[in-house]
Order: sequence, then C-alpha cells, then structure tokens
Amino acid sequence: MNLILQNIGRRFGSKWIVRHLDLEVGEGECLALLGPSGCGKSTTLRLIAGLDQPNEGSITIAGEDVTTVSPVDRRIGMVFQSYALFPHLTVFANLALGLQVRGIAASDRKRRVASVLALMQLEDLAERHPAELSGGQRQRVALARALLRDPLVYLLDEPMSNLDAQLREDLRPQLRHLILKGSQPVVYVTHDQHEAMAMAHRIAVMRDGKIEQIGTPQELYHNPSSLFVASFIGRPQINLLPAESGIIKAIRPEHLQLSSEGIPCRLVYKEWLGTSQLLILESNRGPLRMLCASEISIPETIKINWPPEKEHQFDASSGERY
Amino acid sequence: MMRQRKLWITVLLLWSLAPLLWQLYTSFCTHEALLQPLAEHNQRWTLDNYRQVLTANPPFWRYLLNSVIVGIGSTSLTLLIAIPAAYSLSKVSQNVARVAKFILLGAALFPYVLLFLALLELARSFNLGNNLLALSFPYAGLSMPLAVLLLLSAFRDLPSELEEAARLEGLDLWQRLRWVLIPLIGPATASTAILVFLFSWNEYPIALTWISRADLLTLPVAIARIAGSSVYSIPYGAYAAATVLGALPLLLLVLIFQRQIVSGLTQGAIKG
Amino acid sequence: MIQLLLIPAALLIALVFGLPLVRYSWLSFHADSVLTGLVAIPNHGANWLRLLHDQRFWQDTYQTARFATVSVSLELLLAIAIALLLDQRWRGRGVVRAISLLPWALPTTVMALGWRWIFNTPYGPIEQFAELIGLQPLNILSNPNITWLATVVGDVWKTTPFAALILLAGLQTIPNDLYEAFYLEGGHPRAALFQITLPLLQPYLLLSLLFRLAQAFGIFDLIQVMTGGGPAGSTESLALYAYLNAMRFLDFGYSATVMISGFLLLVLACLLVWLIFQQASHWREAIK
Repeated sequence: MNLILQNIGRRFGSKWIVRHLDLEVGEGECLALLGPSGCGKSTTLRLIAGLDQPNEGSITIAGEDVTTVSPVDRRIGMVFQSYALFPHLTVFANLALGLQVRGIAASDRKRRVASVLALMQLEDLAERHPAELSGGQRQRVALARALLRDPLVYLLDEPMSNLDAQLREDLRPQLRHLILKGSQPVVYVTHDQHEAMAMAHRIAVMRDGKIEQIGTPQELYHNPSSLFVASFIGRPQINLLPAESGIIKAIRPEHLQLSSEGIPCRLVYKEWLGTSQLLILESNRGPLRMLCASEISIPETIKINWPPEKEHQFDASSGERY
Repeated sequence: MMRQRKLWITVLLLWSLAPLLWQLYTSFCTHEALLQPLAEHNQRWTLDNYRQVLTANPPFWRYLLNSVIVGIGSTSLTLLIAIPAAYSLSKVSQNVARVAKFILLGAALFPYVLLFLALLELARSFNLGNNLLALSFPYAGLSMPLAVLLLLSAFRDLPSELEEAARLEGLDLWQRLRWVLIPLIGPATASTAILVFLFSWNEYPIALTWISRADLLTLPVAIARIAGSSVYSIPYGAYAAATVLGALPLLLLVLIFQRQIVSGLTQGAIKG
Repeated sequence: MIQLLLIPAALLIALVFGLPLVRYSWLSFHADSVLTGLVAIPNHGANWLRLLHDQRFWQDTYQTARFATVSVSLELLLAIAIALLLDQRWRGRGVVRAISLLPWALPTTVMALGWRWIFNTPYGPIEQFAELIGLQPLNILSNPNITWLATVVGDVWKTTPFAALILLAGLQTIPNDLYEAFYLEGGHPRAALFQITLPLLQPYLLLSLLFRLAQAFGIFDLIQVMTGGGPAGSTESLALYAYLNAMRFLDFGYSATVMISGFLLLVLACLLVWLIFQQASHWREAIK
C-alpha cells in the first residue's frame, strides 16, 4: 500500500494554490506536510481525500489511480483539525453513521463500533455527546471514526492543534502507535515542527504551493536545501550573516561557541531556558542568537566562533544551498 | 439610576399593554357600561360579547382554524423550498452569493402590498381563489427572501469540516442534509418557521383579495369585515371580544417562542 | 447539481416579486377597466398623463410621505430608547422583552380595530378623559387635521418593537471593552452614547430605517381598517388608492400605474436615505 501524487496542481481562478507537486508515501510511513499557513498543505490533504479536485496531475492510492474517484470510495481515514464530530449525535451514533449509510447490517455495525470503542478505551463515553467530552477524548473519537473506515490511507489535519501543550506531548506516542500499527501510509499536516519531527518518518517542507525540501528530520536539520528550510526548521531560529559576494552564511544558535578570537559581540540580554540559555548578541555582523549551557556566566562583551563544518552557505539571490 | 430604570420599564410595559388591556376591559363590559363608563350600573360585566362572537355564523373559531391551516401550509411550503435553496447558496461562489443576498434583501424590504393586484390576477387565471391552501403559494413566495437569508446564515455558520467528514463517511447529498445539516440548523429553522407562521397569520391584503367566501376568511380579514359591517348589533363590545380572541393565540405564540422570534429577527439583522 | 436546489425558490420569488413588476409596467401603458370590458387596450401613456394631473394621487403621495417620515422618525427614536433599556442587565428583562414584542406580533387589522375604539368619539377612553378634564370633544377620527396623527400612533405602537429588536442586536455586537476604555480615558457615560454607541449602531440604524421606511410607505392594513382613508381622504395612502382603483373603480391599468409610481418613489426615498447616511459618515470622518 502506498500513496503517490504526481504533478498535482490546483488553482482558484488564476492563482495556483499548489503546483507541480510530487509526493510518494510508502507502506507504513508517516509523512508530515510542514509549512506556514497558506503554503498549500491543507489543500494538498483535501486533494488526497477527494474533498477537492486537482486541475492537473494524478493521485494513486494502493496502485489504483483515484484522481476522479469519490471521497468515500477512496477509503480515507481522516482526522480533522476540529475533529468534525457531529454535535447532535452520541459518540456511538457518530461512529455508526458511516457504517449505516454504507449499508452495514445493524448487528455487524454494533459489533464493529463496540470493538473500536474498546480499542480506543471509549466504552464509557459511548452515550455522550461530543460537547460533553474533553479535547483528548474528542480526538480519540475522531481517530476511532478513521479506524472504522478500514482505510487505505490516513490523513491527519493538525490533529493536535486543539489540545493544550501538555496533552499534546502525552498523546503523541499513543497516536503514533495507533496509526502506524497498520501498513497504511499516513499524511500528517502540521505547522508545528516539533510535532512533525516527533511524529513523522519524513517531512515535506512546503512553501507557496511547492515542496521546498523533503527528507528525514535529521536531513532537514543538518542539510537544509534552502534558506527557507534552514530558517523554518530549528528553534531558536538560525543566524543569517549579511551577504558577502552573493553568499549568505547561516549558523545555528547551538553551534556558536565562546572563543578567544572571532567576532566581538556585546550581550544585549539573555533568556534562561532551563538546561540552556539563549543569548541575544549585538555584533558588527548584525544581531546574533546563541545557545549555550545555562551554568556558564557570560560577561558583557564576548567573542564568538563556530566550527566551519557547521556553517551553511546559501546563494543570496536564489536562496538555494551553495 | 435604579429608580429611573424602573420608571422607564413601567412606561414601556404600559405603552405595550395598555391598548390590549383596554380591549380586554371593553370585551367584558355591557353595552350600557361602555356608553357611560363613569355612571353606576346594575350590570357592568358580561360574557355576552364573547357569546355573540362565538355563536355568529360562521363562528369565530372558524377563522382561527382557517388561519392555522394557512399558517401551517405556508410554513411547510416555505421551509421545503427555502432549506435546499439556502444550502445551495451556501455552496456557490462568493460573488454569486453576494448578488443573491442583495436581491433577497431587496425583496425582503419590498412593501408587498403593492403586489396584490398581479397576484390576484394570477389567482384568477389559475383558479386559486377561495382556496385556503392555495394562499400558501404567495405566502411562501413573500416569505422566501427572509427565510433563505436566515437559513443561509445558519448553513454558513456550520463548520465545513462537518460536511466533509460526512462525505468521507459516504453520506450522499440527501443523507448529509437529512442526518447532519438539517438537524444542526434546527434552531434557525425554528426561528424561520415561527416568523413565516406569524407573517401568514397576520397577512391581510392578499387574503382579502383571494378569499371571498365567509367561511374561508382568515382571521385578519374576518376582523376587518367585522369592522366594516353591522353584523353585530352592539358594536364595540363584540369588536373587542373578537380582537381579544384574535390576539390570544398570538399572545401564547409569542410567549412560548419569544427566544426563536428574537433570534430570527436579530440574526437577519446581524448577518444581513 | 447543487445549484438545481435553488430553482424552486428562484422561480417562486420571480413569480411573486418579479412578475408583478413586469405586469404593472405593461399594464400602466394600457387601459384595462370596466370601460374596456376588462380587456387591456394600449392607451399610449394616457395613464401616466392622468397620473400627472391627478390631484388625489399627489395628495396621497404627500400624505404617505408625511405618514412615513413622522412615524418612522418616532419609531426609531423610541426604538433606540427601548433598545438601550433592554441592553442593560436587570431581572425580568426577558419577560419585558417578550411583552414589548406583542404589538408587533398581533395582526394589524386586529389592533386597527382596537385603535378605532380607543379613538372613538365620544365613547373611547381618550375622549372620555378629555371630557373629564373639561376639554371640547377632540373628534380624533373625524377631524381631517388630526386623524393622520392617530394612524401614526397606531403604526408606531405596532412597529417600534421590531426596530428596537434590530437595534438591540446591534447594541449587543458592541464590545464592552470599548466603553471601559472610553471611561478610563475620562469619558462621560452620556458622551459614550454619541461617541461610541450611535456611530457603531449606524449600520443597524440604516437597516431598520430602510426596512421601516419601505413598510410605512406601503401602509395599507392599518389605514384601511382604522379610517378607510378618511375623513375626507385625509389619511388615504398610495397603497390604499391603488387598491381602491383596482377593487372599487375596477380600473386595473390605472391602479398598476399608481403602484409602479409608488414603487419608484420608494426606491428614490431609499436612495436618498442611503446617500444621507453616506454623507453623514463622510462628515464624521472630516470632523475627526
């Protein structure tokens, strides 16, 4: 089972939302679509689901071209950002509705819903309405609905964005376990790079309707293919030095070091982050962010340097890796 | 501040209720008491006025029944047509929807009394006169702009993800409307229904021109006829009894459905 | 496919609103009355020529405009006051709101009849009261100079709740922070009414003004039942005149002409109001 997008394009009027998009997600792989809002990641997801039709290109699921197939026949298990639970129905009815309209007999329906309720530990909540559930419980119901579809592909649209930070961290391993148990490809849309790194095998960084770079989290971090990816991945944000002869140098804050020689800097202020501290420095090459261990005490003026192999170089005009 | 407010509330209540209470008072007065309210009378109070109105031919409850029939007919017809139309409008492009909303708003503002002549001609050519349920057609048409606007804003307020989730689950258009969308716009539907019902209950010029048979008159026309005729030998006591009887069902309706009425009227204003 | 669902509603609206306008425009260029045996015969604008010289039409136009202007102005002023009162929090507000809504919900003809009794001479309460304090009989419904004021009272009583509700909805969209910020800056509560409330209420004022203007311009039920257009035609409205032309004089061609002109006059009035509102907001901008 796999998912292939070939040369996908979608426009509204004359404006292309995504264009020339190629993507392949393998069996049991989780791919995160990561990017700022408006980059086309949600549109891509809706195109895969069949909720929207591409103007060009083709979509293949499990070896079958589904470009013109209706959403329901694509067998998509989708978790929406808002979870999209039907507010007027109980948890049980929410899960049974799809089975019912697809003509599954009542007894079979009941058995299948019961088993997925048990799997998701939702048995006690079966008769509740969505409004009576917590955020985490709603997410589980949404996931249960996706599981019940017996899908060929899982699509998750910002499934964590409605939860508070603590709950997100708690739920990540559970979610990962559930969706990666099967052999279905998973597409996970998020704007949160930590989440993308935690959940996905590979990340596709999107910008202006195109995939800027696709690779494992490590590849994106160590080997960003463009200035955009370098700035987008990694927090605190990477330092960009002013262009010299058409080349922009970029160094991550965690790779800057105190040294006896190097760029002289003045400490503007520092943020204590627990195990580390973030220093905001002023230098003749502009402001710099530096991350260092929190026990080091920093004088007013310092000199900094970095190992040459940690330095990234980008073409100043195209933004591409030099 | 507090005392001032209480004063204003009292004024508001008096202003709203005094004319109604005067009718109520009148309806229980004997003829003599009405003509000389300040003098002493052996008999001041009576139920004769009501007796007279209720035993006239046709009896007064007949008009109430007619109005209920027309109200239910036109409300059902309006909803039947307006819900699909509003759903459809919530799906078309922004520009089309904007033009449609403008037209609907214009039609909703239109003083419909000006339409009566052409509608009467229609009734004549299709032989719809003196038919209570046929009144549902003009009433549904006249209520349509407001109904579509109200329901459109309700459909717009539903998160689009809900319908998408239903599509992924395999619900077709009819099933989505039946199982997901219509239940979710229930409150707006209730508001729309009550407003349409009130409109058709109160409508006068079209009912006046479409219906001439005495036993088919709707309440507003029947009341107006009482005013223009001398069917009742004692004039105002019986008039008042008729207005009280005509007002009672609405009084109940407003008290029961005031939340829906208010939200219907105000939704239209805010979203429109 | 989904667009098909629009068709019944579109057809019905076209039939009920569109067709009459087309029909009236056509009829207004035809003689169609008892004299022609109720057959439409082209009369080359004779209806319009007659309209231009029809004293009664212009009299009714004036009376309708007078009625609409006075009663809509009063309604809006009262509605603002009622909306402000209902916007505050106090116990029993819901009940009072429901009661204040009653006049709007009752059939116009029912209360038109009621008003006829209240303004009755000599048995109505107003005349009784006048007599009690030693006044001459007012003859409210038989004095051509004041009867129209009685119809204004009836209309204001009935339609103010509607305008008040629209304005109340508008008031509830104004965030409380704005007032708090205004008071922190040292603003006086009374000044807030003119600095914050009314400017932010403007779209709702415009909406209820246009809506009420259109309805008042087409006033029919109230007049027909309460005064029948009298005394001496002093309360006759355009809609009533059109109705009489069609139903009493059986002159459909001329009735259509009256209705089309009424409609055009109303569009003109609405445009005027809209322009005034536009200008008003320009002026306010300029003052700032």
